[in-house]
Amino acid sequence: MANHSQLGFQDASSPIMEELIQFHDHALMVALAICSLVLYLLTLMLTEKLSSSTVDAQEIELVWTILPAMVLITLALPSLRILYMMDEINEPDLTLKAIGHQWYWTYEYTDFKDLTFDSYMIPTADLPLGHFRLLEVDHRVIVPTSSTVRVIVTADDVLHSWAVPSLGVKTDAIPGRLNQTSFFATRPGVYYGQCSEICGANHSFMPIVVESAPLPNFEHWSSSLSS
Amino acid sequence: MLASRVFSLVGRRSISTSLCLRAHGHGVVKAEDYTLPAYVDRRDVPLPEVAFVRDLSAQQQALKEKEKASWSALSVDEKVELYRIKFNETYAEMNKGTNEWKTILGGVFFFLGFTGIILIWQKHFMYGPIPHTFSEEWLSAQTKRMLDMRVNPVEGISAQWDFDKNEWKK
Repeated sequence: MANHSQLGFQDASSPIMEELIQFHDHALMVALAICSLVLYLLTLMLTEKLSSSTVDAQEIELVWTILPAMVLITLALPSLRILYMMDEINEPDLTLKAIGHQWYWTYEYTDFKDLTFDSYMIPTADLPLGHFRLLEVDHRVIVPTSSTVRVIVTADDVLHSWAVPSLGVKTDAIPGRLNQTSFFATRPGVYYGQCSEICGANHSFMPIVVESAPLPNFEHWSSSLSS
Repeated sequence: MLASRVFSLVGRRSISTSLCLRAHGHGVVKAEDYTLPAYVDRRDVPLPEVAFVRDLSAQQQALKEKEKASWSALSVDEKVELYRIKFNETYAEMNKGTNEWKTILGGVFFFLGFTGIILIWQKHFMYGPIPHTFSEEWLSAQTKRMLDMRVNPVEGISAQWDFDKNEWKK
């Protein structure tokens, strides 16, 4: 989860999110360089160190066409690399279905047994001391650590979106359609997210909580629930 | 062949006629102001289409006659007068800054302040109390819980807490 006034990303808990954070740093550096240059030139012009009455300038026109094209390539290549990385064929250890409703999520683990449960937000009035307002749920999504998890996301009524920022996951839940995503939780922990597609009055009140636990703990949990 | 007259900056209307158009029986269309030669003070137009002063007084006409002779015979004041006949402002006058920025900045601050007043009014008269999860007790319990569950342990909050000494890292 984020701090109260956090501006940047949460720490990555999956390799894809690590890549995304690095790319974002790179892109922001490019943006900083461009903005500094523009601000510098603007200052030169406003203080009349640089004429703003130029009417014919073929050479600089060439420069400021070629240079931005190169900058765009510098941005495009890492971006496409990560995009393809996200689509790599991996063999998931677990498949999880996330179904969005108004206004809660249903999770199904049907690989081995029929395990289905709903996940509702805990109302603020019912929160135990120190728990996170608008983020806690009654039943968390438990997944084993260091395992590739495939998530099939869909919705039952209107559009929703299943998002967990620290895992680098955001997938739209569309009625009548199955969207697939996957993640790999590198460390044990609890990761929070919120519904990311406007879906009615309680759109802000159907969070997602993924708990990454070591495999024995996961097995213990899943067998105790479905028996 | 176009027969057109020269116009002063004062902007009296005049009609430019074309002998060819007339000869072929077209009617005379009143020319718009922007199509006629005009005077401008612009850095990138060093030689405007017309002189600034159109109607010369007798004194100025005499000066123009004197201009046809050798220029070294002209005094400095006469040269300046000739300049002022041709041009409205000098480059220095044209490029001079104004105090407009003070007005703009003042306006910006005014509206920022006005917005602030609205926000303060809203907070005082409109909004209800904030959720109970913002109390000191709740926030400290919440922070402890975040550290216990190792939220953001790489560069975030759990990375700034010294778990051995039970205090924030220096």
